[in-house]
Amino acid sequence: MQCERVRELLSPYLDGELSAEERRAVAAHLGECRGCSAQLSDFRRVGQTLAEAGPEPVPKALTARVRSNLARVAHAEPTPISALIQKPLAGASSVRRGVLRQAAVIAAACVLSAVATWLATSNLAQQHRLEQDVLAAHVRSLLQDSPIQVASSDAHTVKPWFAGRIDFSPEVKDLASEGFPLVGGRLDYVGGRRVGAVVYKRRLHVVNVFMWPSASAGDVAPRLMTRNGYNLLTWSRGGVDYWAASDLNAGDLAQLQALL
Amino acid sequence: MSTLRQFEPLALPCMEAAFNLAFWLVRSRADAEDIVQEAYLRAFRAFDGFRGGDMRPWLLAIVRNTAYRWLSNRRRSGTVISLEEAFADGSGQSADDIASDEPTAEERLIGAAERDYVLRALAELPPAFREVLVLREIEGFAYRKIAEVTGVPVGTVMSRLSRGRGELRKVLTRLMGKDEPNAM
Repeated sequence: MQCERVRELLSPYLDGELSAEERRAVAAHLGECRGCSAQLSDFRRVGQTLAEAGPEPVPKALTARVRSNLARVAHAEPTPISALIQKPLAGASSVRRGVLRQAAVIAAACVLSAVATWLATSNLAQQHRLEQDVLAAHVRSLLQDSPIQVASSDAHTVKPWFAGRIDFSPEVKDLASEGFPLVGGRLDYVGGRRVGAVVYKRRLHVVNVFMWPSASAGDVAPRLMTRNGYNLLTWSRGGVDYWAASDLNAGDLAQLQALL
Repeated sequence: MSTLRQFEPLALPCMEAAFNLAFWLVRSRADAEDIVQEAYLRAFRAFDGFRGGDMRPWLLAIVRNTAYRWLSNRRRSGTVISLEEAFADGSGQSADDIASDEPTAEERLIGAAERDYVLRALAELPPAFREVLVLREIEGFAYRKIAEVTGVPVGTVMSRLSRGRGELRKVLTRLMGKDEPNAM
């Protein structure tokens, strides 16, 4: 084999992408040609240097940002209208009335379902935004060096810290004896307002409890949801909205809710 | 939500390779971050078209397209970032940064300096060579997967890698100066 031809094959030779025959021919040539084998060893050395340098390090917050973008897009995807109007259509056709009447029923069903969809989605959209905010605040707190601004296992240190920082006095309890040691508190931004976040621990799990004054006076029973692998529990009591977020299991989270 | 649950476990582990390819195509960490975010949204929307198997080539093809679109926009707007800037914007790849993390043995320092030269030389190559070298040498992709990412035949991948390695060697020789006769 000529040097010129071998030089063309050095790169695939190095990558193990040659046929057995070509490989043998190149190897035979390399055994007797110093120029070609020097070039091969250069290629190999540069390749190793690049492999050792490795990939450019991923910025810390990028994964969280990508996930929150995805969650937003996944939630924003409109429910196909066909899926919403199928039920009323089936009901109307089984009645077997006149064509005009059937059309009227269908039209009414469409209007109704459109209104219902609009009502449901505008409420849902608001709810989704709040869930996303709570989730983002929780994840953000985990990404930082410390999830708290005031560190104390003493409720009488944490509670006064909030005074003057937010416009109400959040519930802070020391639940160490119940297995939920108080870590501390911080301020966060959820649903377009400044809120109090009280941080508890359960074994190695961090629980963020977000609180703000409720828009309505009535109490609301706890509701659990799972978002991106995190459990979110929300309830209202005594004019305060609570959102607890954690990777803790639902049972333990409910237990904390009962204690607060 | 259910598709998101299927998408994330497959796509998130590709983040390192995605960011690396984006960075080497646009040579800026900040821009690579934007490109990766956009590419993941595009990938999620196109998830129906993913036929299973290794997700990396499929996802990296989207990252690559996003990066090229971005590059052509930048060319049109006339802003060109110099190599110095590309490396100054906190890429963390300078010889100083690397050396400071590692034992101060002389050998390591020489290794770090060499690495700095190789990365600079790679950054100088045209993107068509840069991308195949990054996918082959850093990601360890086989030719067939590189062909999937770049959308060219395997034969083209082979010749680009061959020429790319030759070019890289030339640039390195120039960068390392003529006073070293056996410069890589």
